[in-house]
Amino acid sequence: MTHLQADTRREAGVLLEVEDLRTHFRTERGVVRAVDGVSFSVDRGDCLGIVGESGSGKTVLARSIMGLLPRTNTVTSGSVRFEGMEILGSSDKMMRSLWGREMSMVFQDPMTSLNPLMKIGKQIAEPLRLHLDMTRSDARDTAERLLNDVRIPGPSRCLDRFPYELSGGMRQRAMIAIALSCGPALLFADEPTTALDVTVQAQILDLIGEQRRDRSMSVILVTHDLGVVAGHTDHIAVMYGGKLVEKAPTRTLFARMKMPYTMSLLRSIPKLDDPSHTRLISIPGRPPDLVNPPVGCRFAPRCAYAQDRCRHEEPPLITAESSDHVYACWYPVGSPVFEARDAEVRAETSVVGHGNV
Amino acid sequence: MRYWFQRIAMAMALLLSVSALTFGAMNLLGDPLFNILGPVAGDTSNPESVKLIEQAKRQYNLDRALPVRYGMWLSDFVAGDMGVQFSTDGQPPVTDLIKERLPRSAMLLIIAQLMAILFSIPWALITAARSGKPLDRLSTISTFLLVALPNFALAVILKYVLGIKLGWFPLTFNAKDPFLSRLFQMVLPAITIALPAAAIYQRLLRTDLITTLQEDFILMARSKGVSRWRVLFRHSLRPSLFSFVTVVGLNTGAIIGGSIVVETVFRIPGLGSSLVEAVLREDFPVVLAIVMIVATTFVIINLLVDIGYSLIDPRVRQ
Amino acid sequence: MIEMSAAIGVQPARTRRLGAGFWISIAWLALIVALAILAPYLPIKSPTSNFTGKGNAGPSKPPSMEHWFGTDRDARDVFARTLFGARVSLTVGFAAIASGMIVGGSLGMVAGYFRGWWDRVISFVFLVLLSFPALVLAIMLTALLDRNLLTISLILGVLAISPVGRLARASTLQYAEREFVTAARTLGATNRRIIVRELLPNVVIPMGALALLGMAVAIVAEAGLAFLGLSVEKGITWGGMIQLGSESSRNLEQAPWIALFPIGVLFSTVLALNFAGDRVRSLLDVKEISL
Repeated sequence: MTHLQADTRREAGVLLEVEDLRTHFRTERGVVRAVDGVSFSVDRGDCLGIVGESGSGKTVLARSIMGLLPRTNTVTSGSVRFEGMEILGSSDKMMRSLWGREMSMVFQDPMTSLNPLMKIGKQIAEPLRLHLDMTRSDARDTAERLLNDVRIPGPSRCLDRFPYELSGGMRQRAMIAIALSCGPALLFADEPTTALDVTVQAQILDLIGEQRRDRSMSVILVTHDLGVVAGHTDHIAVMYGGKLVEKAPTRTLFARMKMPYTMSLLRSIPKLDDPSHTRLISIPGRPPDLVNPPVGCRFAPRCAYAQDRCRHEEPPLITAESSDHVYACWYPVGSPVFEARDAEVRAETSVVGHGNV
Repeated sequence: MRYWFQRIAMAMALLLSVSALTFGAMNLLGDPLFNILGPVAGDTSNPESVKLIEQAKRQYNLDRALPVRYGMWLSDFVAGDMGVQFSTDGQPPVTDLIKERLPRSAMLLIIAQLMAILFSIPWALITAARSGKPLDRLSTISTFLLVALPNFALAVILKYVLGIKLGWFPLTFNAKDPFLSRLFQMVLPAITIALPAAAIYQRLLRTDLITTLQEDFILMARSKGVSRWRVLFRHSLRPSLFSFVTVVGLNTGAIIGGSIVVETVFRIPGLGSSLVEAVLREDFPVVLAIVMIVATTFVIINLLVDIGYSLIDPRVRQ
Repeated sequence: MIEMSAAIGVQPARTRRLGAGFWISIAWLALIVALAILAPYLPIKSPTSNFTGKGNAGPSKPPSMEHWFGTDRDARDVFARTLFGARVSLTVGFAAIASGMIVGGSLGMVAGYFRGWWDRVISFVFLVLLSFPALVLAIMLTALLDRNLLTISLILGVLAISPVGRLARASTLQYAEREFVTAARTLGATNRRIIVRELLPNVVIPMGALALLGMAVAIVAEAGLAFLGLSVEKGITWGGMIQLGSESSRNLEQAPWIALFPIGVLFSTVLALNFAGDRVRSLLDVKEISL
């Protein structure tokens, strides 16, 4: 299977289709159902944000799609079609023609994700020489250009530096340069800003967005932070307990969110214009046990609006008013049951207030 | 920089102590006169012996205090005068023996150490890649066995199997043979020393490789499309070599010990076998000289390992 | 949290039980020890007599019903000699590690507890001892002393002082920081009392874990010395037997059992000690030290 040619001019259309993807891990405790039936698609040039708490399965989802999980004790099922081709369960050899070339990943912690004993230039040049058959000098020149693209000052000097010599933000830029080197059609960014200072975070996200537009690249941005996805994504998918619980275009989601979980996530973001000493709202309780997930809606144990039906019957994904908005909830935001309960909940929170977990 | 000075100073102190300990042991444990002259020392009835005794007393300053003797011996030793070989006819200087045999032992040690390193690295890579699988389990059992087997037993077994039964290797060493034949004659002895050492190195390197393979940057390299072998070799090997290098240096002591035994089994006329012969013949200047040389070499090697370690890891340099 | 291993899936850690192998090793060791102790009283042939005669007796005869391990070049019974050889090896192995632990352990604890100059001097002494390759130091000492059971045991014990001492020092340092020591001191306990009652029990555990492994090393070292002709002068030793059996290539070719049986018994014993010692060590979770 030869690698696909890199098109600088990408046609519109669906790039990635995920259908009923399940990833289960066999462990001593039992089978961990980290990803339990997730479906969505990503168009070319689109940016999808996958949001969820730790333990929601978002990282496993990203790595399952890319095929980076270890083979032992991992069972995947469902379908993942990339550029029309089924890639789930493909051999490593097949995937290697895609990795770094058509799809690549930016990892969370650049300090541990870059080889500490290899110079930056060499780490960038590696995929170039591997996939594009560049000569050493061509690869070096291209690497320098890439470092420039990601706005690292003094790119030629940076080529000969080791990761420990760079700051956190620069390391992450270097990692982005590596990921972009062969011009992939799809970029996964797994919590790209979590390990960085707040001031640097915005720069990195802007950089990713800029590169996306310049290269007509699709991006899947995985994060726990709704604030991160707010300004930089076209669509948002919310994950909880291994399941997709809501998906919508970004504006739609923020304007007309349906799932109470999504609302709690939004509410837990502290706002600059709140009066000082406003308590931070967090969602009480802990993520569900993925070996024995609760019957019914997985969020029910922690949902302030949960009713009996939620605890016994799992809500299916249904479409909202706009056709590209799906959610899974029996009593979504705006429904009569919700509104009734909401009044009580608001009263509780203003009196008691939740502590910071 | 400061670190290096400290280590060198410590090495000098160690060398001094080693020489003092060796000289002190030689002279305090038992009668120095006996140690020098052997049974002749007690033979005061024979005028010949008495003359030798007097001569020895003068020559070795036995009337002086121990620290003085030590100082004089040490200055002689460092200048290159290591006394004479008592038990050999004509009493040639010890340095002759050293000059003849040291290169041979050095060659054996170097070949053995190189073999061990070259053998252990691919072995560790393969078992780390197939960790937990049958090949790895088999390897773990065999390393366990190899390390438990005493080196002389291994020497005898290898000599029997590879030398006698299969006839692949020559069984004796002939100092007069041309260089290449001599080299080939050293192969079996070198293998005997190298195998247990390789087992030790492999165990350690495999563990470090497996740990390194859990690191994030390995996943990152894979996500770039790098093949498994390239990931193993070019990405995970170097960060895993630190303990390996240290152990190789420290294990030199065991290799030196192993060479003594191997030289005896395969009858290679090297420093190790001379040491044993000298002990059995009670030729103390020889024993003293060889022990000093070996210990000095060992201290210097440890020093180099320490310094080398700080050079390898660019992070430590800061 | 599920670990994201890269290319290679990792097996889970071994279970923390002693296991069948451990008990088999202990059984073998018990057997050897018993046979060694009882050797003079057992109805076996004499290890020093020369069994000349016809049939299966005579020099360099292969194993048979009368001589289970065959005979050596001087027509002595290899089986009996092997059993008697065990007496020397096991005694030396035990005495060496015991004396090494007593001396090394004490020095290490003093260094770790009192620190300061004590620590510096004692640690330096350890380093000096470690500057000699072990076998070289042992050979040198055998050159200077008479070679009997006691001196050989002590010489090998000297080899053990540094590794054991450093371990004891590290343990002591670790425990001396803990609160129960400070508590004892505030209650007015003397240093000696603290060392003996509070620290010693804790230090003994890691040292004990390594005792079996240490014995294995000592036995191998003694066998090596014996092989070179530098061990107990008047005794029967495994190393000595092996050396006699492998002296010339022709011997080895024609009568391999003379060397191979003692090798087998020596190897099994050392293997059993290593295996059992390793199990104990991983059970008590003590880190490896290089001996």
